[in-house]
Amino acid sequence: MKVNREFKEALLFVAPLVIFISFFILLPICGTFWTSLWQDVAFISKKFIGLENYVRLLSDRHFWQSTYFTLLFPLISVSLEMFFGMIFALVLNETFRFRGILRGISLIPWAIPSIVGARIWQLIYRYDYGLANLFLKMFGIQSINWLGSPVGAFSALVLADVWRTTPFVAIILLAGLQTVPNDIYDQAQVDGSNFVQRFFKITLPLIKPIVIIALLFRTIDAIRVFDLIYVITEGGPGGVTTSLSLYGYKFFLLGDFGYGSTVSVILFLISFIIALTYIKVGRIRTSIL
Amino acid sequence: MKEDTGKKILFALGVLFILVFCLVPFIWMLIISFNERADFIVNIGSQLTTKNYIDILRLDNLHFLDYLRNSIIIAGAAALLSGFIGALAAYAVSRISFPGKILLVFAVLSMSMFPQISIVGYLYKFMAALGWINTYQALILPYVSWSLPLALWIMMSYFSQIPYELDKAAQIDGASKLQTLTKIIFPITLPGFLSTILLLLMFAFNEFLFALMLTIDYRTRTVPVGIALFQGLHGELPWGYIMAAAVISCIPVIAIALVFQKHIIQGLTRGAVKQ
Repeated sequence: MKVNREFKEALLFVAPLVIFISFFILLPICGTFWTSLWQDVAFISKKFIGLENYVRLLSDRHFWQSTYFTLLFPLISVSLEMFFGMIFALVLNETFRFRGILRGISLIPWAIPSIVGARIWQLIYRYDYGLANLFLKMFGIQSINWLGSPVGAFSALVLADVWRTTPFVAIILLAGLQTVPNDIYDQAQVDGSNFVQRFFKITLPLIKPIVIIALLFRTIDAIRVFDLIYVITEGGPGGVTTSLSLYGYKFFLLGDFGYGSTVSVILFLISFIIALTYIKVGRIRTSIL
Repeated sequence: MKEDTGKKILFALGVLFILVFCLVPFIWMLIISFNERADFIVNIGSQLTTKNYIDILRLDNLHFLDYLRNSIIIAGAAALLSGFIGALAAYAVSRISFPGKILLVFAVLSMSMFPQISIVGYLYKFMAALGWINTYQALILPYVSWSLPLALWIMMSYFSQIPYELDKAAQIDGASKLQTLTKIIFPITLPGFLSTILLLLMFAFNEFLFALMLTIDYRTRTVPVGIALFQGLHGELPWGYIMAAAVISCIPVIAIALVFQKHIIQGLTRGAVKQ
């Protein structure tokens, strides 16, 4: 009987959470799957069409272009973020006088609204008076038409994303570094290895689980990138920087909920598969309980 | 000895790199916000001014103060609700064993990985059916749900650090589970709870896609949407206004980041690192 009473109590405690999540996450997700099976365009009568929207995806060149971008963008930006994030974390893990302030400062790009970051970078990429080209000019390099060329626009987005999220990666990695006991290093120092060797031989293997967690978080987040692109390139030039999130949004904006939902379902499945792969390959255990 | 010098130089370079990397774009925003023209650097004769700030705070047709008020109400309400609901659930998960518990936690945590776009389309239809488009609740309710995985995750790690004996003692004295939570456990985790709320606040304050879809005008539009949709009269973007608005919207989050740096880092990493 005691078990029964405890169960009822637990039910009361988790009920609000379950209600909120059911109504505003689970229901919409199921709704999106359901809507993707319909022809559902504003001002046109609705019709159940089965998998027709999915068939339409196959021959939709812009869809494939967006999918390509959605996979390539995380690959490049997350790699760079991990590299810079590790540098940040190693520096911030040292003991020094203004460490607290430097940690605070390094949080700034991540803490400010992503839209603000996007606006700043949009201005930095201005061809005529943007900071990026002024910087290149200082070294005698010709100005780049950042947002007007495919490669320029892609690099511009990667750079802006790296700026914004490196602090986040750094925080996660820093937490990992802090779990490495100092006496391990003392021992290695006696053995005569230098700090670069120590990093690759001792530190990195020890914090591998948390590196994988950082990778998982960042990849999943970069795959759904929307804010930066909405402001900086608007998906251009010629649609080459349109992510699946933005592509789906454009259909919602036009009132085409059926096809927009179909695109969203694909993005959902892609992130689902990637998350599962990380969890399987990285052997992320539910160390939560 | 030699290694020490090498390490010191690398460390100094690292510090310099972090400062330049994080601050240059940010300082650039500040400079633009205090300039008459965004192209001042190639356009001699542009003057320093506070006009951008005065204008966005004074001119009613820019609606910046409306956006700010909406953001504060929506983010505040969402963060508080999410914090309390998350704490309740986290307490149950860390203290009571019930069937399906692990499944529940795992399901909730995995929801934070969903792409927003796969929710927002149907959410729009749902809110439209209720007649809630362009209302505060149309944003608050999804924000609460969307940030609950984070709230649950962080609060769980705080509760798991409190010895179970405290609960036992309270229950022997006849306290119910809810009393134990509110009278004994909650006060102990209050610092942790507050840092959770701060994270949730930042999260809700910065959100863009939901706000973009579910609001129509200045009555509910939040600051990020306002900044993203700022339009110039003659095609050229009003950069001075945009940057002044951006700076103002950064002040609260940066103040939080600098002052509560320790708590934020702790909050974010508590769940990730098993202690």
